Amino acid sequence: MNSLKDLRRVVNHASLGRFRFYVQLFSFVLLIYGGYLAINVGNQLPTFACLYSDLHGGACYLLGFQHQMATPWSQLFGGRGLAILIGLATFVAFFVVFNKAWCGFICPLGTLQDWLSSLRRKLNIRAAGYSEPVFQRLSKIKYVLLALLILIPMAIGNSFFGLPKLGHDWGVPFCMICPGRTILPLFTGDFSQLAIDFSSLAKLTLTALGLAITGLLIIGSLFKPRFFCLFCPMSALHYIFSRTGLLRLTKNGAKCTRCGNCFRACDMGIRAIADDLESKNIVKDDCMMCGKCIEVCPEDGCLQAKVLSLPVYESTAEGFFKRMNRKNNG
Amino acid sequence: MDDELKRRLLKTTRLHLAMEGEETLQRLREFSERPAAMEYFYTLFHQLANGAGPAAMAGERKIIATMCMQVPQELILAVGAHPLRLCSGANAYDQVGAEFMPAKSCPVIRATLGMLRVNQSLWGDTMAGIVVPTTCDQKKKACEELGDMGYPVYSLEMPAGKESDLARYYWQESVKQFAVDLEKMVGRRLTAAGLRQAIAKVGRAAALFRQLHGLRGNRPPIILGSDLFLVYNAYFFDDIERWSRAVEVLVAELEQRRQNGVRVTNRRAPRLLFTGSPPIFPNFKVPVLVEQSGGIIVVDESCSSTRLLSDSVAYDQASLNDMVPAVADRYLKPCTCPCLTPNQDRLRKLVAMADEFAVDGVVYQAFAGCLPYELERRQVNETLSERGIPMLYVETDYSPEDSGQLSTRVEAFIESIKARKRKQARQQS
Ligand code: SF4
Ligand code: SF4
Ligand code: SF4
Repeated sequence: MNSLKDLRRVVNHASLGRFRFYVQLFSFVLLIYGGYLAINVGNQLPTFACLYSDLHGGACYLLGFQHQMATPWSQLFGGRGLAILIGLATFVAFFVVFNKAWCGFICPLGTLQDWLSSLRRKLNIRAAGYSEPVFQRLSKIKYVLLALLILIPMAIGNSFFGLPKLGHDWGVPFCMICPGRTILPLFTGDFSQLAIDFSSLAKLTLTALGLAITGLLIIGSLFKPRFFCLFCPMSALHYIFSRTGLLRLTKNGAKCTRCGNCFRACDMGIRAIADDLESKNIVKDDCMMCGKCIEVCPEDGCLQAKVLSLPVYESTAEGFFKRMNRKNNG
Repeated sequence: MDDELKRRLLKTTRLHLAMEGEETLQRLREFSERPAAMEYFYTLFHQLANGAGPAAMAGERKIIATMCMQVPQELILAVGAHPLRLCSGANAYDQVGAEFMPAKSCPVIRATLGMLRVNQSLWGDTMAGIVVPTTCDQKKKACEELGDMGYPVYSLEMPAGKESDLARYYWQESVKQFAVDLEKMVGRRLTAAGLRQAIAKVGRAAALFRQLHGLRGNRPPIILGSDLFLVYNAYFFDDIERWSRAVEVLVAELEQRRQNGVRVTNRRAPRLLFTGSPPIFPNFKVPVLVEQSGGIIVVDESCSSTRLLSDSVAYDQASLNDMVPAVADRYLKPCTCPCLTPNQDRLRKLVAMADEFAVDGVVYQAFAGCLPYELERRQVNETLSERGIPMLYVETDYSPEDSGQLSTRVEAFIESIKARKRKQARQQS
């Protein structure tokens, strides 16, 4: 019993940030270069492991999902409908294990943004943030993107309100604008996605938009941590299933002093992490479960990462001072 | 006032101060089982009561005096100055203040201004600045009084609330401006390395504070609340590193006590939470009375004590851009000062403390003239009674005159808690 207590103490004193750095590095290599070793963890991953990157060791669910959404409704009740359900179930199964930590620990695009943030620190550029009303407004964009990436493909396979169906050039519209498609292949030396496709108006629009978003992501990340994640439709899709996650982030509001340490540390800029005293489950829709908030919370047991109901990492005063001490003197 | 009169006033005030200070220390020493490590603090306050001025604490450094815990200490340390909290608890100084301040003003302000007036010729040059945050109205007006006396006053603007983004922004900008002005006052630049070091020093003190805080809740109690008020009061003026070393020794001794089962009072002594207007040496009238009457203050919520070090700075990046706002947040966001509106956090904190330290009752001290604390009485009372926690409200000041009447009330309160506990114990068995 005592040894378990000791173990938890050691864990709570540790720097989660360092652990996260290595997990991110490992996942990045696996998902970008896994193909070299013929590794493929699946094509329904709840994260941006891009199929356009040839050596990928696993792939993002959104590409297949968009294809499936183009299924004509008449075919939904046959084998294709079943395939959609199986795809979704696989996605959820992957997702449930890590919950939104897919974003904080695994997503290559997220990792890349964190690396750009490190560069920002080196350049001594001050991190930018949004004011609360702006944040609230921007935060809704990801749901709009999610709705579009479902509706546009649907309009290819089906006719809405008697309108003509959309052309196939509108297929996988989100992939066309996704910075994952343009950036991730670069790591395998493939620059071909950095182009505008002039073959049709649809493609022209989408690929041009894609390049613009790519540019924004790179520049944005040099000022605002996780610039892109606030708009990410994958994150919106996650949130639908977030309650089922085995990994949880919980808060005990009674212990919170509202000091705001967690909010300042949060790369996503989630104010509720400090101000919400009611929610036990504190995984907000923009949260990437990076755990930075837990590291900087000085109150015992106020923030906890749990697997089911078992705390695996929690805020403690002792751990807080250990970490700050390392930071102050290191 | 002519010089002769001033000299005589100074002399009598000093005498009173020494008597008052020695009396409080004497009372503290009369309790049994004093930790040996407390000797450091007794000596310190003995020196203070016998005329040690601020320069004695600061050594060669410039002094930036403050009149509230709301002034970011990390910044002062970062520019190599010595932060010194002036708030006085001396009746001797209160009497000086009463000569030129309204009878209904708060004794903390009156005594502090009295002290600054009577000691002006002695301390005048040692202070590079007196920083007064715009918390309560009386502090705001104190700024003007002190300015007129000729002190270099800096009024640190603080918002009246902390909930909105606007308040946070205002305070951060105010603190940034303070950092810039501080450089001028002290004549040294604020650097990232300096601030990081200062944050580390305060962080070390805060880590020790947490250990002490945990130990004081021990069952049975191993240290008196009155002693701890002294320890935290010393933080007002002591060199932070010296203070930390002394507390480290105390923590080690208490840890020993815990293991050896040494205790300062019997197991059934009512465990009390002290809150309200700050007990400042030598005015330990109420806490000492409480503990003489058989209660034990296991935890407190006041700006002369636990609130000083409960909260800690965390920053992401060791740059001024990141650290200065982090420091600013520490002084506003978790603050439970009744000057803020709303102040739900104080109620939440009291409830959390009552739970964590398993207290049997609450003692609420309000200084006559300290309106914010007087006004919050109702909310605190209601919150506590919802949870069945009895509260004793005492309105008092620095004069010893109400001691007799106070001790009757305190004793009755403690007796009633004891009776309640006996009844509960009977019902359980
Ligand atoms: S929110 Fe960010 S980390 Fe999560 S999937 Fe989207 S890009 Fe990746
Ligand atoms: S760091 Fe902890 S105590 Fe501070 S606001 Fe966040 S959750 Fe609350
Ligand atoms: S709330 Fe906490 S876990 Fe979620 S993104 Fe912010 S810092 Fe990371």
